[in-house]
Amino acid sequence: MRVMDIRGLVLVNSASVDFADHNQFSNFVPGLTDVAGKSLLERTAERLQKFGISPVAAVIEGPSYAGGIKPLGNVTQIAAPPERFWRAAEGAFNDLVQAGAELVVLVRLGAYAEIDFENMVQFHLDRHCRVSRATQNGQMMEVFCISASRRNDAASLFRSRLTHCRSDCPEFESFGYLNPLADPVDLRQLAIDILTLKTETAPAGEQIRPGVWAAPRAQIEKGARVLAPAFIGSYARVRSGAVITRCSSIEHHAQVDCGTVIENASLLSYSYIGAALELAHSVAGFSCIWNLRRDCVVRISDSKLLRHSAASSGNRLLSSTAELVTYLPKQFWRGIFRPSPSPSPDLNNALRQTSPSLGAASGYRAPACDSQAANEFPTNFVVARTHGNQ
Amino acid sequence: MEINSRPVVVKRMPERVNARTAREFLHDVRPFLSVDRPQVVFDLSQVVQLDAAGVEMLLRCMSEAHKRDGDLKLASPSPEASVVLELTRTERLFEIYETSTDAARSFSGFLPNAMRQQLLHKRPSAPAAA
Repeated sequence: MRVMDIRGLVLVNSASVDFADHNQFSNFVPGLTDVAGKSLLERTAERLQKFGISPVAAVIEGPSYAGGIKPLGNVTQIAAPPERFWRAAEGAFNDLVQAGAELVVLVRLGAYAEIDFENMVQFHLDRHCRVSRATQNGQMMEVFCISASRRNDAASLFRSRLTHCRSDCPEFESFGYLNPLADPVDLRQLAIDILTLKTETAPAGEQIRPGVWAAPRAQIEKGARVLAPAFIGSYARVRSGAVITRCSSIEHHAQVDCGTVIENASLLSYSYIGAALELAHSVAGFSCIWNLRRDCVVRISDSKLLRHSAASSGNRLLSSTAELVTYLPKQFWRGIFRPSPSPSPDLNNALRQTSPSLGAASGYRAPACDSQAANEFPTNFVVARTHGNQ
Repeated sequence: MEINSRPVVVKRMPERVNARTAREFLHDVRPFLSVDRPQVVFDLSQVVQLDAAGVEMLLRCMSEAHKRDGDLKLASPSPEASVVLELTRTERLFEIYETSTDAARSFSGFLPNAMRQQLLHKRPSAPAAA
């Protein structure tokens, strides 16, 4: 019996998702972001390999990713600049064919789909297709089976950025799990679905208690509470008094400081959240918080609340050493040179002044009670009135 | 019977509330907080950045107001301010209103609405009765 050589090609670029709408997350790539311990690229590669599609090559757009690209054992990773991404993808396809592939399964990460690749390949062979495409609920998915001998069809597909194929492209209907991953709500939903085992893929690491997964070298200090379902990633640290609850996911190298509550939230890799805080219904990382209830993204500039540490261990070591070394001099400096508290102005004077903290940003420069400005209402005083019936 | 005749001061907070601007803002509002039973509303509609120092300043203002038997309320918080208040668990310590007007009105709204209406209707005839 002859075994068919089927290989996988995964494309990871940011153009297929709406996350980039938020300026703060222009360098955020969902396909490379860890969700419950593994990135979508890792999960997709594992799924392909589970169906005997091996080896797998991945073409990743962009020179750098803030979350860091993890080396994956069985996946050949090819980094490509944005302007050469599709050419690199076509090149990777040709390399797979040169290496002896008879059929290539092409997946572009954007949505996360659990497709039965065995059935899809069988469908492709039964129909004698050149290129076949997966669909779900009437929606086209960016998952293709391409016969290796049809290089021109593949080339037309890559050159049109997967929008058009020059030959017929029969559709294979998939019925598996699908998450469009179009926005942070979907990213959070994926974490919930993985932790509640609605997906075939499971959280990484070991289940230390029913519903609680911890990856190797995760540190959960004494006094911290982790309530199921929850996930703590490798090298992540949950400090004493912290509470992790309601499908929360703490990704690798993240740190939750003492007494902080993480409820129905994801803390992305290399993020630190300060002590005695409460992160709820949010996705936090890259010094930003996506609040899912308010549907807004807020950049947190105060490193005591939330910060993103460097992905490189050398840089992390350097920054923590610098912090340690400068701690005492800073305290001395503050103690010696702290400005003495200035006397408070009396009420009458205060009423005549605009707030110095508003400065030019308020757009109002004249004092409130100047004769020239008498008709203007100062911007920093909205209302000053007496209540009752007056 | 007088319901409430003390002034309510509504102050708009700056766009960025960091350690420096918080200190300046506190210096600016202290006179309003150091009167007897201060009634102060901070309008947070323009706040785009609020850090720990800003939150600490708000708590300090609230504490100052409470010391003098007054109150500090917050109005129309921007999404950025709301997220930080929620993150620091301070949103539950303040009364927060959608608009400054609602916040200012709330200082005179300690009586149940029905009773307040009753009092207002009775007021003109009260001296005659006395």
